[in-house]
Amino acid sequence: MTPVTSKVCVVGDFAVGKTSVVERFVTNQFSEKYLSTVGVKIDTKEIEFPALAVTHKLVIWDVAGSEKFGPAEMAYLRGASGYIFVADGTRPATLKAVERLQNQITEAYGLAPAVLLVNKRDLTADWDVSDERFDALTTNYGNAYRTSAKTGDDVERAIARLAELIIENDMRGK
Amino acid sequence: MNDLDQLKELLFGAEKQALDSISERVERREIRTADVADILPEAIHQSHQKDGELVESLTQPVGECLQQALRDEPETYADALYPVMGPAIRKSIMHALRNFSQQINEAVEHSVSPTGLKWRWQASRAGIPFGEYVLQKTMRYRVEQAYLISRENGLLVDHVHHESSKIKDSDAVSAMFTAIQDFVKESFSPDRTGRLESADMGEFTLWAVHGPHALLVCVIRGVPPKSLRADLSAILERIHFRYGDAIREYKGDTSTVPDVEDELERCLRFEARDESTKKREGPPGPVLVLLLLLALAAVFFGVRSWMYSQQQEELEAALNATPGLYVTSIDRDGGHFTVRGLRDPLAMNVADVAESIDIPSDRVSVSMQPFQSLQPEILAERAARMLGKPESVDFRVSGTTLHASGQAPWAWRQQLRSRFNSLVGIDRLDVSGLQGNDRQQIADRVAGLNQRQFFFGSGVEFLDGDQARLREFATELAGLVDEAREFGYLVSVTAKGSADSVGSAAANAALADRRATVAAQILAASGINARILSQPELGFADEPPREDVSLRFVQFDLQLEPLPDSP
Repeated sequence: MTPVTSKVCVVGDFAVGKTSVVERFVTNQFSEKYLSTVGVKIDTKEIEFPALAVTHKLVIWDVAGSEKFGPAEMAYLRGASGYIFVADGTRPATLKAVERLQNQITEAYGLAPAVLLVNKRDLTADWDVSDERFDALTTNYGNAYRTSAKTGDDVERAIARLAELIIENDMRGK
Repeated sequence: MNDLDQLKELLFGAEKQALDSISERVERREIRTADVADILPEAIHQSHQKDGELVESLTQPVGECLQQALRDEPETYADALYPVMGPAIRKSIMHALRNFSQQINEAVEHSVSPTGLKWRWQASRAGIPFGEYVLQKTMRYRVEQAYLISRENGLLVDHVHHESSKIKDSDAVSAMFTAIQDFVKESFSPDRTGRLESADMGEFTLWAVHGPHALLVCVIRGVPPKSLRADLSAILERIHFRYGDAIREYKGDTSTVPDVEDELERCLRFEARDESTKKREGPPGPVLVLLLLLALAAVFFGVRSWMYSQQQEELEAALNATPGLYVTSIDRDGGHFTVRGLRDPLAMNVADVAESIDIPSDRVSVSMQPFQSLQPEILAERAARMLGKPESVDFRVSGTTLHASGQAPWAWRQQLRSRFNSLVGIDRLDVSGLQGNDRQQIADRVAGLNQRQFFFGSGVEFLDGDQARLREFATELAGLVDEAREFGYLVSVTAKGSADSVGSAAANAALADRRATVAAQILAASGINARILSQPELGFADEPPREDVSLRFVQFDLQLEPLPDSP
């Protein structure tokens, strides 16, 4: 298996469940206190793609939540191979925040593979994203998932898809 | 040739020839080869002088050429290398043995020294192998880990570390360091040009060396010298030289930076602590142990020497207190003593004196000259020997007087009186405490003899056997008399006869005297002078006359009288 490493950034508004989503999926490497002090926390996850004979290691930068990134956060995003956008399905405003962040990132660093996680699908009573809206998001982001950090629904699938997209993107680049 | 060609020939004839010549040189391979061969040595020399690019460029193709050649013609190269392989192997083995010897020395040093024991205890507390702990303590610095990080995205290009180093996920560490680097830059550098170059974390120092595309981060244990940063910069420059473009475009595919690990390995430097530093810390373990042993030996020999010195004093005191010995010197060699001086033959042996104070005689040599001591004890002993002192007598000397006390026979007392003057150092004799010890014995024997009676028949004829008994008596008495004389007594003998009542009293008295005289004559034959106790008459007034054999006898009265002592 060929080892490949990629930098992936998790971005989204405050309290959308970014860290919870990541923690469902990764091996913790550092304390969460870095998130509140340095503004970012690093974790890693290895995913194997036997068909491609590739072991893809994602170095996941969990960037502190914000509606709009400052220079420090933007510095953290530099060189990322892919993005995990996270929004809160019970707060549609967070989708707007994701859109703003995506624009900001694209403007600074160009397009890159990304997946959108509309999180907290377990809170069905408070869920506030219609199917039509979700379809529109899927069209816009290419890959959108209704996830639950609490139950783990679709989290792994979404991130595995991102890893796959990054490999495809790199192969196209070559 | 048309007009145009002629015109060209006229106008550019020389140039055309030159062009043709150049064309020929370019087109003809052999000429080009000759040209390159002509300038190649100089070109190589100039390129090599200018920078290291030529070496870099040739490293890979030359290496591959060598590999190919070795595969194709191994024997040729084996023959060529044969003369150098032996010395190289020997040198390598010697180097390995020297290192091994040094390691053994250090291991022994750190095993037996107090520091080593302390380190062993601390290593066990820290839960790390003793060897590793010793390394940590003896090194000045060691580059434990080196991270080569893409500055663009914080991805780890490569990572090397010592086997003993504890590492986390190096990709995560690389990313986190980049994040912190960015955080510091954004937070503390107003113009965002500042960068984190070093950080101290307890026993570790973290150094970051920045290149155009990559960041070299080294985790260093101990205190690195400043020159190390220059060395690390040189390594990073070399990496940029070889892999600059690949690192700039690095997206996590390690195959784009082949063999970068070899370059990175060069960062794992190690430097042992300076010997002079060690010296400042104190003497090394073996020296301490040696000093300790020397101190113990000094204490041991000191104590032993003190004990011998004490023994010498005790021996000298004991010898001086021994009568008849006069010590002039005692020499000591370790625990062996040589005693010199004078010894009276009657004095105690030096070896016996030594044994009496628990000094083995084999540790004492004696060199004594004989002499005659006038010490009282020796004088008394000499007197005893010369005078044949009986056990019942004690001698004591004070000043020049010999005091004799106890009991002794008269004859010996006489001898004492006559001979004490011959003793050197004695001019007076005191016998006030000396008594005869033989009177009772003689007296008992005298009493026994006094009981004897010797019987007669009629007249002065002894009964059968009594005359013979009387002679035996005489012999016995003569011996007693001699013995008594030796003990200082005279024995006086009085013979007294007896008769029965037949006849007149006067006749009987006369008969009794005759009988006493006859008996005295027999004693006289044995040299005994017996007095006769004459009796005027023997009367038996109240009894009728009758023959009674039991009254016809003679008896002796023996008395002891002391001989007058000689003046």
